[in-house]
Amino acid sequence: MKRLLLAFALWLPALACAGTLQPLAAADVPALLQPPAHGARIVALWSLDCAYCEPNLEALAALQRAHPHEIELVTVTTDSIALRTAIAARLHGMQMDVYPARAYAEASPERINLLLDPDWGGETPRVLVVHADGSRKGLSGALTPAQLRKLL
Amino acid sequence: MRHLLIALLCLLSPALLAHDGMRMEMPKGPELGASAAFDSHGRLYVVDAADGHVRLRHSDDDGRTLSAPVEVNATAERIYAEGENRPKLAFGPHDEIYVSWSQPRAEPWTGFVRFARSLDRGEHFSEPLTVHRDRAEITHRFDALAVDSKGRLVIAWIDKRDLLAADAAGKPYLGAAIYYSWSDDGGASFAPERKLLDQSCECCRIALARTPDGEVAAFFRGIYGDNIRDHTYAVLRTDGQTSQVARATFNDWQIAGCPHHGPGLAIGIDGIRHAVWYEAKGKPTIWYGQLDPGHAPKHPLAIAGAGAGHADVAVHDQTVWLAWNQVNAAGYALMLRRSSDNGAHFDAPREIARSSGATGSPQLLLKQGRAFVAWNTAAGFRLVEVPR
Repeated sequence: MKRLLLAFALWLPALACAGTLQPLAAADVPALLQPPAHGARIVALWSLDCAYCEPNLEALAALQRAHPHEIELVTVTTDSIALRTAIAARLHGMQMDVYPARAYAEASPERINLLLDPDWGGETPRVLVVHADGSRKGLSGALTPAQLRKLL
Repeated sequence: MRHLLIALLCLLSPALLAHDGMRMEMPKGPELGASAAFDSHGRLYVVDAADGHVRLRHSDDDGRTLSAPVEVNATAERIYAEGENRPKLAFGPHDEIYVSWSQPRAEPWTGFVRFARSLDRGEHFSEPLTVHRDRAEITHRFDALAVDSKGRLVIAWIDKRDLLAADAAGKPYLGAAIYYSWSDDGGASFAPERKLLDQSCECCRIALARTPDGEVAAFFRGIYGDNIRDHTYAVLRTDGQTSQVARATFNDWQIAGCPHHGPGLAIGIDGIRHAVWYEAKGKPTIWYGQLDPGHAPKHPLAIAGAGAGHADVAVHDQTVWLAWNQVNAAGYALMLRRSSDNGAHFDAPREIARSSGATGSPQLLLKQGRAFVAWNTAAGFRLVEVPR
């Protein structure tokens, strides 16, 4: 039994966090947009059908690793949480599953778009930056290095 | 010890499922993609997808009741059926029923364009065929289907073969390409595909409409310069001539991303090209305008803003209708604006239906000068007659 447990324990790191995907309903949006205690929360919106999103997520992850104390990174896919399996797999493939991850869970998904950012029409990728002082910024499209530098 | 083992197993199972899911790419959002059209007898037909089948239903009472579904593809296959990538429906000159759809392949962002036809008003369908000769496991998706005045079928789609070729050669290439094909034998076979242009947007539907000359015109999101996602207009030539392609919107919205938001087009018998499109250079905006390819559209009007999406347009004589989805706290409103002077002015937006659940993109349909909106909602398909 101990050997079996050890085998599981060795497998786990490689597959860690694939089960941490959480739903995001309209009622959850205010908490997600609540200013962090310090630094900035980056809400990285992406979708399975968006080829631009993967490099954008990876660039945001690199930025977060460079500023681990200033940036809290959360990924949110606009795909339904019903696609949990595909979403978790994609996050794992991108090595993004170390970050808190949300997926839309709402009968009218465009309503979450509007609540997250009324200046956003649903295009992906979209990045929302919520600063500790309560200010917010939204950017559509894969971010350029210059845009990434200005995020904080 | 046993409890610890169970806990570990619980942690593992979603991870293992997730791994399997790598090859089970699914389309974005609820699968409410549907298309509807009236045949020459005024019978309404609807296609959507369920359980691996494109299914056809019809209604002889303007959508109040729908027939039992007929399976278009007898053998189940995967089908894209979300708003920008929905099964399509068109009729031949003798009410032949033509259906196309995009079939997801194993890898993300891949697909084949599929087609089947019925020559007996939907009782039986031909074995589906793949429209394009290229069989690379890449994007051939976002099909659009129309029939010209000679009965020739035209299918256009988004195609990534040139992107991959450019990547392999180390050359820069933005977006995808628009390809099209046609059938001179009522969909029994299709001509080898032709490229319309390089560097189109990758994830927005293509709008097709018939010109007064009976040809099929396309309006779609292109890429200009450094990811300026404005729109392009072209008549799809099927006579061996080169299609003339021109930029038709000039909003200069720059985005290295996926708008997931294609345009709409309706052409009057006077040749006026009524169009709707989305851009978000400043605030998210849906525009109406009359296309003047090569120049900025005439009579531009911002018809809707935040929370609005997926507009469609129709024209009959001097009347122009615009319909779109509007998100609100209760769900979705189906919104409408009408012009009685051929698009020079529009009345105020008004809500003509609402849905508490998800909806597909609205589609304006005309029957004997009356306008309807086909609206596929989570609660079922609806045909909403536009109040006069």
